[in-house]
Amino acid sequence: MSDDRDMSDETRDLAGEYALGVLTDAELWRAQEMARTDPRFREEVARWSGRLAPLLEEVAAAAPPGSAWQKIERRIATEPAGTNVIQLRRRVNQWRGIAAAMSALAACLAIFIAVRPAPPSPVPVGIERPSAPPLLAMLGNDQQGTKVVASWDPAAQRLVLAVTGAMPPDPSHAHELWVIPPGGKPRSLGTMGSSRQMHMELADTLAQLLQQGATIAISVEPPGGSPTGAPTGPVVASGALTKA
Amino acid sequence: MPACSACLPSAGLTFPRTARSRMKQVMDRPAELDANSPSEELAALLGAVSKGDREAFANLYRRTSAKLYGICLRLLRSEPEAQDVLQEVYVLVWRKAERFDSGRASAITWLATLARNKAIDRLRGRPAGGEGIEAAADVEDDRPSAFDVVGQAEDAARLGRCIDELDERARAMIRAAFLDGASYPELAERENVPLGTMKSWIRRGLLRLRGCLER
Repeated sequence: MSDDRDMSDETRDLAGEYALGVLTDAELWRAQEMARTDPRFREEVARWSGRLAPLLEEVAAAAPPGSAWQKIERRIATEPAGTNVIQLRRRVNQWRGIAAAMSALAACLAIFIAVRPAPPSPVPVGIERPSAPPLLAMLGNDQQGTKVVASWDPAAQRLVLAVTGAMPPDPSHAHELWVIPPGGKPRSLGTMGSSRQMHMELADTLAQLLQQGATIAISVEPPGGSPTGAPTGPVVASGALTKA
Repeated sequence: MPACSACLPSAGLTFPRTARSRMKQVMDRPAELDANSPSEELAALLGAVSKGDREAFANLYRRTSAKLYGICLRLLRSEPEAQDVLQEVYVLVWRKAERFDSGRASAITWLATLARNKAIDRLRGRPAGGEGIEAAADVEDDRPSAFDVVGQAEDAARLGRCIDELDERARAMIRAAFLDGASYPELAERENVPLGTMKSWIRRGLLRLRGCLER
């Protein structure tokens, strides 16, 4: 508890508010940032979560439909047994392989497109599960030369991103990824880290938006992402999803 | 009550005494007795899940999903959204069960907190899967996350007593925030008070709550 004493009242308030879930916008980003960088803050949040958790006891149980379990089973079906740490490493290695392929592809495509605008040839994305055809989007920015290749694997509900060109790291801003269905509003897919290759698995409600013709875009937002749920900053790259 | 509640071990779904008092129980009592308690069973299931035991995972889902779905449904008030988040939660449990530490919180507290935090993330507009973008890049990185919960010496009865000690307004606001997912702006609008007033009500309430729980 000696740690507690070093913590300002304001910080401790923030930890309680973060655990309670009342924060929005700038305060929420600040708490998220502190939770990422300050282990003592994080521990205080964990303590608050523990203090409040008994309230959940009074929430009435409700049986989920059988389809919920089937979806979960399907999602984990391809993940091998073994400890999850090993599983994760394996997944990351697989993904790095895909991402490396995507990077090379992005570079090739960048040249290819510059030379002759034509639809890209099939790409080695379905390494893990070749069953469902992936969709591809080339996200370009002429000014910065930023190229991002987004590859969507509908079967795994996995989006793989490979960045080439300049996407300068900037701690005062975040890059947020969006999907914009044809005629629809942008929906956030989350903020992007600083690495050049990323993958993310999407929940059903987002996954269903990644259809052919939907636009994938990256906007510049405050740290932690857009405060409004819609893009607020300039769009630095965008492109439409097409069949690979 | 939903039909499935009968198949859930009732004791496993109450939030058991804290890790610390449980550890004491383990020391005071024959191990077999405690190993048969629902809370120890859930902890054992999580342990098996962390080793990739699919049967244990199915069993864990059978025993805990109604509680977790109830939490998601209460916060999100939409069946499709609640099912979506429930799915995220169990996929995370499958992948990261090794992060459960029975010395810090009981299994059901850990699971329920994970479900609640993911539902709040969804309410606040961050997709539940959003964490994956960093998770994949930096597996070793110790990220803040929805998994952190530490049960201290407070059990449900004690929290109940301390909540009762709060004035009615603070009690109502804290419950609305934690159980219904109301944010500061929403609470201020609901009560028709300035945002700053709402913040000071909640902060005072939390301060009193902590003071009471630490007594």
